[in-house]
Amino acid sequence: MALLVVPACLLVLALLVGPMILMFRISLEQYSPTQLMIATFSPDNYVRAATDPYYQQVILTTLGVALLCTALTLVIAYPAAYWVGRIQSRWKSLVVIATLFPLLVGNVVRSAGWMALFARGGLINTLLLRTGLVAEPIELLYTPKAVVLGIIAVVLPYMILTIASVIESIPRDLEDAASNLGASSLRTFWRVILPLSAPGVAAGCILVFVLCMNTYATAVLLGGPRFKMMAPAVYDQFVRGNNWPMGATLAFMLLAVTMGFTLFGSIAFARRYRVK
Amino acid sequence: MISRRHFLSASAGAASALTSNFSPANAQSSQLVVGTWGGDYGQLLSDIVDKPLIAPKGIEVVQDVANADPRKTKLLAERQSRRGSMDVACLSDSDAYIVAGTNAFEAIDAGKVSRLGKVFPELKTETAIPHIYSAQVILYNTNKVTAPPQSYADLWDPKWRGRIGLADILWSANTIAAALAGGGSPTNFDPAEKMLMDWRSLDVKIYPSNEALAAALKSEEVWLSVMWLARGFMWKKSGIPLSHVVPKEGTPAIVFEASVPRNARNKEGAFTYLDAMLDPKAQAAFADKMGYVPTVSDAVLPEDIAQQVSLSEADRSKLVKLDFAYQTERSQRTLDFWNKQFKG
Repeated sequence: MALLVVPACLLVLALLVGPMILMFRISLEQYSPTQLMIATFSPDNYVRAATDPYYQQVILTTLGVALLCTALTLVIAYPAAYWVGRIQSRWKSLVVIATLFPLLVGNVVRSAGWMALFARGGLINTLLLRTGLVAEPIELLYTPKAVVLGIIAVVLPYMILTIASVIESIPRDLEDAASNLGASSLRTFWRVILPLSAPGVAAGCILVFVLCMNTYATAVLLGGPRFKMMAPAVYDQFVRGNNWPMGATLAFMLLAVTMGFTLFGSIAFARRYRVK
Repeated sequence: MISRRHFLSASAGAASALTSNFSPANAQSSQLVVGTWGGDYGQLLSDIVDKPLIAPKGIEVVQDVANADPRKTKLLAERQSRRGSMDVACLSDSDAYIVAGTNAFEAIDAGKVSRLGKVFPELKTETAIPHIYSAQVILYNTNKVTAPPQSYADLWDPKWRGRIGLADILWSANTIAAALAGGGSPTNFDPAEKMLMDWRSLDVKIYPSNEALAAALKSEEVWLSVMWLARGFMWKKSGIPLSHVVPKEGTPAIVFEASVPRNARNKEGAFTYLDAMLDPKAQAAFADKMGYVPTVSDAVLPEDIAQQVSLSEADRSKLVKLDFAYQTERSQRTLDFWNKQFKG
């Protein structure tokens, strides 16, 4: 039976672990503008990136955006997930497909649509100007709020479907029992539904948080050149600066921060809901 | 129902078709892989060089489309390999300089590229043919700017506050303009740092791409920019009311070049291709469609096109020859300053 996992393990080893080992080696090398990199074995790049106020700020911004987007997505997604999880109509599969529909559109295409909406001459500004609500176009594109909105639109289906699949498995009888015992709807949600759906909430939050931390297209297209997140910073070093060692270093820092917060969140969640 | 035998034979057939048709590893000698930009450039190469000039020679061109940075990185990463993935590599002059410095390109001479004799001498290099070129100018909206700036330094006049737009992807070219405005030179970018910070305080707008900048010029969100004359020509053709000024401090040129990697699999075909890129009709077509100036003396442009894309004798004397050694050595500092201080 154990042999069944061999193909998957080989694939992961070849396509994930192998390149990561290579990248880690590159992160310890020294940048050269003409030779791409010079073979060394030094933690200099990590020290430089960790002590550079610019990259500290980029990591903080990335974390802030990811945490905010995860929280907002959870708040928006939960009621929808509850409805999807509880729906018993024969149209349920259509509802699931409709939830998935935004994922059929690529991130870049979706962001291009948002750009058309948010631009100074875009749909929103045109409507605001024509209705006289504003005298001058307002700045929507290339702002942090555009990025947050754009990211939430991308990750919402992941959160809804992850939570809905758990809510679906919670017996309705439990809600009826709580109601019969005099619990209000709010109390039933807080003491019964939420704790039982916690695994779905945790899984959804982790999935969404990881996606937010690694956002590239939405941050570049909607945030503009001045908005700083880690994935565009990694790209900048690899592609524009041709500085592979620093690009690899930043990629590992992003990975470490993402893994650290994910582990911390998972453990905290498990303690909160398993102990009780 | 699909049997195991059917599945295996179909898979093998598909794999065979894939490797024989698409993998550069199995490219035959009649196939030529050209590493190039996509968009208008790639399409024009296909329409003006590949189909009419190369296909009749029995060479099938396969375009490896990517931006310059991934192509440059690929060339650097592959330079130790016995067999590379490209036969012809198109790069800008500054990128070609970096790759050529690693000895990754074949030397070019008239024995290999017969039309090299027609190339303007100042554009020749040892390892590349100059395909097309343009100059960096000040673009301005003719409806909004009645007294256009005459120098890069004029762009720091507070009256243009919030009305100047720059393309983020041209960080290096924009830094050079700032250096020249501040009294710097091709070997001294130091003044650029103060000038960029002054520009920032004048609320200069930065756009992620040339296309986003064009949209901002069209909507009159910004009125002025530092840009290649050729781009200005294309934007003007698309209906944006623009004109240009060749700045007093001088105008850095950009030359788009093509080289043959040492580990190319089809070198003979590659040199044939470089020759075709210098064909006078092909050169004139690039000027007409994209606004880039021919690099050969026998390419004749229609007068109206020539007026719009070429530099006058007086303006040609203002061409600034860049020092790529200095620019390359300083590239990380330039990028870091652009990202961390100017945009930060």
